[in-house]
Amino acid sequence: MPRSETNFPISTSIRRVLGVIFILFLALLLFLPRQSQEWLSHVGGPFARILEVPLHVVASIQDSIRHAWDHYIALQNVWEENQQLKQEVQRLQGEQNFLREHAIIAMQFQQLLAYQETTPMTTLPARIIGRNVSNWYRAIIINKGNQDGIHPEMGVITDAGVVGRVVRVNPTTAVVLLLSDPNVAITGMIQKSRDEGLVQGTPQGTIHMKYLPPLSPVQAGDPVVTSGLTDDFPRGLQIGRIQQVTKADTDLFQLGEIDPIVEFSKLEAVLVITSFQPDPPSSLPKPPVSPSP
Amino acid sequence: MTIFLDILLCFGVVLAQATFSTILSAKGIYPDLCFILACVMGFHSGEYKGLRIGLTVGLFQDLFSPGGIGLNMILKGLAGALAGVTTHTFSTVTSPAILLVSFALSLGCGLASLVVAYPVVDAPILFHALSSGLLPQGLYNSLLTLGTFWVIKCIGPSLSMVHLGRGPR
Repeated sequence: MPRSETNFPISTSIRRVLGVIFILFLALLLFLPRQSQEWLSHVGGPFARILEVPLHVVASIQDSIRHAWDHYIALQNVWEENQQLKQEVQRLQGEQNFLREHAIIAMQFQQLLAYQETTPMTTLPARIIGRNVSNWYRAIIINKGNQDGIHPEMGVITDAGVVGRVVRVNPTTAVVLLLSDPNVAITGMIQKSRDEGLVQGTPQGTIHMKYLPPLSPVQAGDPVVTSGLTDDFPRGLQIGRIQQVTKADTDLFQLGEIDPIVEFSKLEAVLVITSFQPDPPSSLPKPPVSPSP
Repeated sequence: MTIFLDILLCFGVVLAQATFSTILSAKGIYPDLCFILACVMGFHSGEYKGLRIGLTVGLFQDLFSPGGIGLNMILKGLAGALAGVTTHTFSTVTSPAILLVSFALSLGCGLASLVVAYPVVDAPILFHALSSGLLPQGLYNSLLTLGTFWVIKCIGPSLSMVHLGRGPR
């Protein structure tokens, strides 16, 4: 039995005729009037609607996939950009901090150098590189040593006032004992009353002015300056202001507590006095001589 | 090589004491890192190592300290040696023992420094030094010594083979 007869119970000639009719029908469709085409479209409409559903579904799936992909890619880019921007912000913040720090240090040095230029003393600027290696002294370490001409007993100041005294010198560093340490004592003077005394640190970290004359009219708020009697500081450098004056009945002298003008905990740069010209007594103005009668 | 490493360690600790100790300060009380190093070495590796490290770190500390050279060297050397002796001879290395011994040693070192550092030590100064310096610092030092000791003991075997020598008996 031929194969076509087994699959289709239609003979080959009929199939050919049907094929020709179908082609003719298709050809005829092209030449049918518009109304007939619309009728055909009405007939095919339901089929189109049925077909639309999977088409929409596929299209929406495709859209959502594309949308998600675009967002993912975009988000990934945003995330990367965000990370880069964060790193940039951190870098710029660090740079800004670094520059600010350098600007502050430069300003401090500028102040010190301006003071150094105006003062008649010969001074050497130094940076503070360490503090309080031992717990029992109030000290700082500066970055200048005996290679730079620093020697023990030299005075250390800032543009504000007295800081302390050099006590140990290494080749490139020196140890400065602060004025608030009990081992430092310098001669001071009440600027108004010209009364002299000994300025010395205490174990508590405060600064006292000892041996003030009992009848001295010293008051709280009076400025205290160096008297220039010791070799390490010239006359007239600021030490601080009198905070309070005490005198017990049994004491021979008054005791003044000084509020130091220099904030020792915030020091970053100092000047070491390498030499200065002490005021010669002849440079003091002579009192006016009244004509003898 | 070990001596070189010892010197390097001591130098590093003195440097840390001069620069970073303010970070570790609690209410104005600074830990004495050199003392802690000497004690930890004494507890961990015995009296000879404690003495050696104590002397070295004390000498470096003296070089950057306003006081005369020798005080910190002797005190830290003694502290390191006594830490080794007391814990290895009279006691086992336990936390209370480390706390007690290092507190006592810190107090002793502080008192000796106080007598040398201050020109006059009268009763008010001594009371002030004890209340605001010696006792809190002793406690702080002993706590840090204990912490450092146990950290070293935990990360110990490899470290002790490289540098610290033998561990506690």
